[in-house]
Amino acid sequence: MSQVTTDLVAESNQAETASGRERRPKISAMARRRSLTGWAFIAPAAILIFVMNFWPMIQAFILSFKTGRGNKLSLADPIWFNYARLLHDDIFKQTLLTTLLYLVVQVPIMLGLAMVLANILNSPTLRFRGVWRTAIFLPVATSLVSYAIVFRTMFGTDGFVNDLLTKLHIIDDPVNWLGQTNTARLVIVLGLLWRWTGFNMILFLAALQNIAPGTQEAAKLDGAGPIRTFWSVTMPQMRPIILLTVIISTNGTIQLFDESYNLTGGGPAYTSMTMSHYLYEVSFHRNPNFGYGAAMSYVILLLVAIFAAIQVRLGDKRD
Amino acid sequence: MWSFRSPGATTTRRGVTQVKRFRKGAVIAATAVVAFTLAACSDSSDDATNGGNGNGEPQGNELTVWAWDPAFNIAALQEAEKIYQQDHPDFKLDIVETPWDDLQTKLTTIAQSQTYDELPDIFLMQNNAFQKNVINYPDLFSDFSGSDVDYSEFPAGVVAYSTVDGANFGVPFDNGTAINALRTDVLEQAGYTVDDFTDISWSDYQTKAKDILAKTGQPLLSGQAGSSDMVMMMLQSAGASLFDADGNPTIANNDALTESAEIYTQMVKDGTFLEVNSWDEYIGTLVNGNVGGTINGVWIVGSIQSAEDQSGKWGMTNLPKLDGVSGATNYSANGGSSWAVSSTADVALAQDFLNSTFAGSTEFYDAILPSTGALANWLPAGDSDVYAQPQEFWGGDAIFQKVVGFAANVPSNNTGVYYYEARDAVSAALTEIVNGADAAEAFQKAQETVEFAMQ
Repeated sequence: MSQVTTDLVAESNQAETASGRERRPKISAMARRRSLTGWAFIAPAAILIFVMNFWPMIQAFILSFKTGRGNKLSLADPIWFNYARLLHDDIFKQTLLTTLLYLVVQVPIMLGLAMVLANILNSPTLRFRGVWRTAIFLPVATSLVSYAIVFRTMFGTDGFVNDLLTKLHIIDDPVNWLGQTNTARLVIVLGLLWRWTGFNMILFLAALQNIAPGTQEAAKLDGAGPIRTFWSVTMPQMRPIILLTVIISTNGTIQLFDESYNLTGGGPAYTSMTMSHYLYEVSFHRNPNFGYGAAMSYVILLLVAIFAAIQVRLGDKRD
Repeated sequence: MWSFRSPGATTTRRGVTQVKRFRKGAVIAATAVVAFTLAACSDSSDDATNGGNGNGEPQGNELTVWAWDPAFNIAALQEAEKIYQQDHPDFKLDIVETPWDDLQTKLTTIAQSQTYDELPDIFLMQNNAFQKNVINYPDLFSDFSGSDVDYSEFPAGVVAYSTVDGANFGVPFDNGTAINALRTDVLEQAGYTVDDFTDISWSDYQTKAKDILAKTGQPLLSGQAGSSDMVMMMLQSAGASLFDADGNPTIANNDALTESAEIYTQMVKDGTFLEVNSWDEYIGTLVNGNVGGTINGVWIVGSIQSAEDQSGKWGMTNLPKLDGVSGATNYSANGGSSWAVSSTADVALAQDFLNSTFAGSTEFYDAILPSTGALANWLPAGDSDVYAQPQEFWGGDAIFQKVVGFAANVPSNNTGVYYYEARDAVSAALTEIVNGADAAEAFQKAQETVEFAMQ
């Protein structure tokens, strides 16, 4: 008797641990049907994503091991030829450095600025908050190509910026913004700041508004000044959002293309060109070498993955 | 005794209806989902066959063309269609406006994915890009071996661009012959005439340009910074190229190139060559009268003539030649394009159309000249009266006839497959030289860049 009971208990325990709440086969068939329906809904989208995204990614990976111009592609010898070739490509190394420069300079400034703006806009005493918010966010809604072309016109030798600076007597001669390396890069950084600060600011604003004001009041009661409060109380609670914006910004900046292509066209002698722009040149403007381009795209992917991994490691303290 | 009931069903009537509804709903949803997937799948497989007209099936009456520039190439095509319709009333031409950059990207994409059905019957192609495309993607083209086009009626230099391994792949159209356009009123102010600039050397030109700058404050030339157009024109005027006949890059140790770069750099330093940042700014310098002249392909005439208030104030002559370089001439070219027939075209019809209009009809060239200012490469066209008419904008000079005369003297050059890589490398080197780098070093670096790209 006790053996049967033990068996029964064991069986029901097994059933419990094996399938959660399910105890009898009847219910699991119902749940199975539900989950099948769920799969039926997800399947078309999943198939599309696989066919449109993952399959081409696999093909691109295989392509990165092939060399040859145009259609005459064949497996490279040695197989990592394209990747090794990247190490000797001076222009690629230049674009790599330039892209990393944009990352290191632009992202911290942008996020800092977004944080400051979010705090200002979070203040309940500020008037016309809606107007400010819209005005700062509007650049995000503009087309990448249009704004890049407008910036290019603005910063031309006879453009608006030079006119303004000359009238205000800040400079004597027009500055050749787009014709010198450092100023060309500066213009790209300015363009990026103008465009993306609003996006990050909105995210930070949402996060700020979700913070319990009780914590901040408690800090004030303990005698902390506003900066101390911000640093020790507000920011740690915003950690997940900060992590999100850092990852998104890093991702976007490493893959930067539109500004490099439309604003400076790669700048004087490739000095403001980004990796994605060089990839496009190699694939479409020069002799089409798609294997090489594919290898480049995987290096970009690798960089993004490494940066994301580092940031998650440093930033995400959840267990 | 119990009829089958789905698991978990309650025994109430409402419960049975609930389950029934749920089952029904699930079945309908699943069917919809499967139907949608099937529809999506079948759509994508249909895409491959939407080549439009001239799909390889000899339809006999219609052709599709891809070209850019509505004011120039496309206007010419519309005229050609009318002329061809005189003998073939059922003929129809379907023109699709496609900017050159887009066209090149489309061709690369089609060739790479091998969906040749998407090609039109005829497409326009920059002369500089011909070698690269024919050598890399021969499957895009049909050659003209079976056609009646008489290539002796075109300048040899231009035909060479679309000739690969002895076979012709294009009918030359747009004349890229370079001209030296000058503002006669600016010259007069400094005491010169257009004749003073005819058949001269570059050192002479530079001296005169400095003089004009001192007396009138106008630079004589302008151009986009980082563009190698000017230097390439100088190079071609001496019959020199960035590649030798075997396709090896000849950027380093190229006397003609080094001298051209020195002339360019010196003029920028002297202030006689104004560097601007974009194409619009360059056109602006011409139209707004900020510059005393320009040296470019004859297609710049359209832009110059858009400034109606400058009518009568321009003159035209040939280019200066390089000093001390063997083979130097006063003639060169910049740009220019030719018509290609695709591999999936109605070849017989397309080639007959091109032969009857672009390669065979004086009436056609007469018709397009006044409306588009389009100058052709076809030599017999230059004999017509329309070309000899004086042009008021240019002080009564019959410039079109002049340019056709220039065209016959333009030396050819080797472009090869890696032409654009070489041009880009030279542009980069030029930028460095203008900023103070040593010319020999910069060109050596450019040569290495091109050799790397050729791997």
